[in-house]
Amino acid sequence: MAKSGILKRWADKYGIVIKVQRFDYAASLDAFVGKNIDACTMTNMEALDMPAAAGVDSTALIIGDYSNGNDAILARNNLTLAQLPGKRIMLVQKTVSEYLLERAMDLNGLGTQIPQLRLMNTSDSDLVGAFLGNKSNQIAVTWKPLVSQIVNSDQSVKSLFDSSKIPAEILDLLVVRTDVLKRSDGSGIRFAKAISGAWYETVAQLAGAGSASDQAIAGSAAASGDSVVSYREQLRTTYLYSTAKSAAEFSEGPAIKQKMDLVRQFCFRHQLLGQNIASVNDVAILYPDGTVQGKSDRVRLRIDSSYMRMAEKGRL
Amino acid sequence: MVLAAARLAEIAAFEQTLESPIEIALHNVTVSYPLSSSGHRTVLSDLNLEIRAGEFVVVLGETGCGKSTLLRLVLGQEFPTSGSIDVDGKRVTRIDSRCGYVPQKYSLFPDRTMIQNVMYGPENANTGWLGRILPSFQRFRRDLRLEVEQQLLRMGLRSTDLHKYPHQLSGGMQQRVAIAQALMMKPPVLLMDEAFSALDPTTRSSLQQQLRDIWQESRPTILFVTHNTSEALLLGTRLILLGAHQEESNRTNVLLDMQLPKFDDTITVRKQSMEFQQLREYVKKMAYGSSTSPEDFALAQEIYERRERA
Amino acid sequence: MAAIPILGKIVDVQSRPQKLWTQSLSWVLFLVGIFTYTQFSIARHKENPEDRVVPSSAQLLQGLKASFLEPAEEDDALDPSAGITQRLAHSMLWKDTVSSSRRFFIAIALLVPAILLGLHMAVFPYAEALFLRFGLFFDKIVALSLLPILFIVFGIDEWSKIMLMVIGVGPTMMLDTYNIAKAVPREQVVKAFTLKSSNADVAYRVILKQIMPQVINGLRLNLKPLALFLFAGEMIVSTDGLAYRIGIMRRHMGMDIIIPYLLWVAVLLFGVDALLKFANRRLHPWF
Repeated sequence: MAKSGILKRWADKYGIVIKVQRFDYAASLDAFVGKNIDACTMTNMEALDMPAAAGVDSTALIIGDYSNGNDAILARNNLTLAQLPGKRIMLVQKTVSEYLLERAMDLNGLGTQIPQLRLMNTSDSDLVGAFLGNKSNQIAVTWKPLVSQIVNSDQSVKSLFDSSKIPAEILDLLVVRTDVLKRSDGSGIRFAKAISGAWYETVAQLAGAGSASDQAIAGSAAASGDSVVSYREQLRTTYLYSTAKSAAEFSEGPAIKQKMDLVRQFCFRHQLLGQNIASVNDVAILYPDGTVQGKSDRVRLRIDSSYMRMAEKGRL
Repeated sequence: MVLAAARLAEIAAFEQTLESPIEIALHNVTVSYPLSSSGHRTVLSDLNLEIRAGEFVVVLGETGCGKSTLLRLVLGQEFPTSGSIDVDGKRVTRIDSRCGYVPQKYSLFPDRTMIQNVMYGPENANTGWLGRILPSFQRFRRDLRLEVEQQLLRMGLRSTDLHKYPHQLSGGMQQRVAIAQALMMKPPVLLMDEAFSALDPTTRSSLQQQLRDIWQESRPTILFVTHNTSEALLLGTRLILLGAHQEESNRTNVLLDMQLPKFDDTITVRKQSMEFQQLREYVKKMAYGSSTSPEDFALAQEIYERRERA
Repeated sequence: MAAIPILGKIVDVQSRPQKLWTQSLSWVLFLVGIFTYTQFSIARHKENPEDRVVPSSAQLLQGLKASFLEPAEEDDALDPSAGITQRLAHSMLWKDTVSSSRRFFIAIALLVPAILLGLHMAVFPYAEALFLRFGLFFDKIVALSLLPILFIVFGIDEWSKIMLMVIGVGPTMMLDTYNIAKAVPREQVVKAFTLKSSNADVAYRVILKQIMPQVINGLRLNLKPLALFLFAGEMIVSTDGLAYRIGIMRRHMGMDIIIPYLLWVAVLLFGVDALLKFANRRLHPWF
């Protein structure tokens, strides 16, 4: 988006400067919570864990997509989900991987066995090598492109469950600090408009066909250090809210509330909302229609559909 | 004056007879090292030497003349480029217990007390690693400890010093213990490499006397290296003076190899004797060639003045 | 005017501060640190009372209690009537300490062969010829980059982490011991041989005995790199351990747990160092 000049155009239109900085995922979250950066892309789970639970009021401006198979549980030797308890599972703990695993167990009637799962926290940079290198590592939960790397290298590894079975539960959001959005000089609002405009223009290119789309895909793949083939593979299992309309509708509908509730319950159970948080309602989420999940005096995460609606109506 | 003294020395009689066996023998020994730049540095060349049992041989010379190399050859620490060395009838191929060794410093084990240092050798000789558990070894150790205590006390250590570590005592004490350590093994040959050179004059004299007394008692063959002329003349029965190796010749420059006169008195007395001073002058002259050193001149003056007064 | 003589005293090499001064000055920086931290924490909490990045003392206290008394989240909850000792034994901190320490001390035990190798290299010329060049080279390999290989060879369990520590610190200990042993004056070795020592006597009874205090001091210096490798391994793949917990807590900014853990690790390392120093003093009174 930044490379193709789309962002600059939109930023100039609103008279602001948008600086894009590349971070490692975890580092970007740290920077966002530390207020060193104003906006960040993250999953809905991280939006709850990190800024919201740390008391940094944040607003999700754009719901970009949800993982529709990008995250998967992989196992060797034809293991089934029922056989997982007691065996060692390699994954990055306290992330969407652990969430995926628990949801998988729940949906298959194995929810009571969740405490019997033996989780081994493995950093994503070493997971592929460690899993493939040793046949005694039987189960791993991770995301693409690592999933693709593993499955392509070892035919005996099968996917037991993936995020396509829990649609719209792992969302990718563009989140901005609420105090930045509410800046008195209006620059926050201008930023919101600029980024939304730029976003939907780019997404239209990616989702479309033809040479412009290929160019866009190549550019994005290069920017994330991936090959075009691998990037396309990830796109295939990502449900992109390619129109502002679809994104806005989802954000205002009942489904998102139900999904977010599942996520926040998970976060609370695992003390991801904070060591001293007494109840799940202490980190509350505000929805576009005004309903609040949790205590209304403790809203920390806001879903704002207004900019997506503006993009839909072309009023950006 | 000087020549007379030399003749005196040469015909002086001493206790050693010419029938005692040859203890140390060097046959055509050459030691040379290749230099990093081209060429060689020859330290000793074609040296032949025979030392009989019971001799107290002092090897004298300036730094670099090869005296330490000579000692190391006998010890087994260094190998000749050509030639061979025999000690006690057998060829020298490695360092072993045929020779006792007293270096200038670092001679004691720092992690053992004085007594333990001296006990080290006899314990090793008595038994290997496994035998140490046996009660017979413990008995041996008890007896040995008493013997060592007595020996060290005789040599001048105080009873409080016995259980101290080397770094806690003076250089003189350390060297005494080092000598005791070597002699405990009753080796046929005792090698001393500038053993007293790091000590102050008083301690030095005291140790020189002690060494002489020890030699009188048990008559080991001693090879004593030093660069101090007085010390050499005070201690030895035979003097070997080495000069620096000359490029042209292919023989080691043995400037002197002479028997020293027998002295019955103590070191302090001997030092003041006329004979001694004349000898020293002579040796120094030989060492420096025909040129006179300021020391030489001063000594000559002193002797002359004393003669005048007498 | 009175300031100038004091200033003069501070920059004087020959000055002899009174005991009161030396004692109180040595605590000043601690107080400065705590003070700065508190100011920071208060400032952040004014903006955002739930801030977790710079925890307040109340939060820290909570964190301490949670570490010491609460079990790890992957374990079962305690019987609420359990006594204090039971709670301590079952706590998160204890579990992590035990698993990290086990790896740490096993690695130290495995350093002993490295030390012995260094000794032999210094004493036996053939050993030196065989091992020195390769040892110098191997020392320069950054152990962390070998981690993927270690995972394949040793699996992702304990042994890959222990071997990471051993491969990281072993060459250093070996070369250090080599240098220390080489520095033993040659005269003692020669003397030992004249006193009827065998080769084994010289290596173990003369040289090894002497260098032990220096080797132990070398080990003390290497405790930090050892801990570093342990932490690297634990943060990458683990189910438990001090660094594992810190890594997990980091993921959701649990500084109220991380800071107590850090201080605890410092205390542990300090303890091990002090223990080694004490042992050195006792065993080697001559040093």
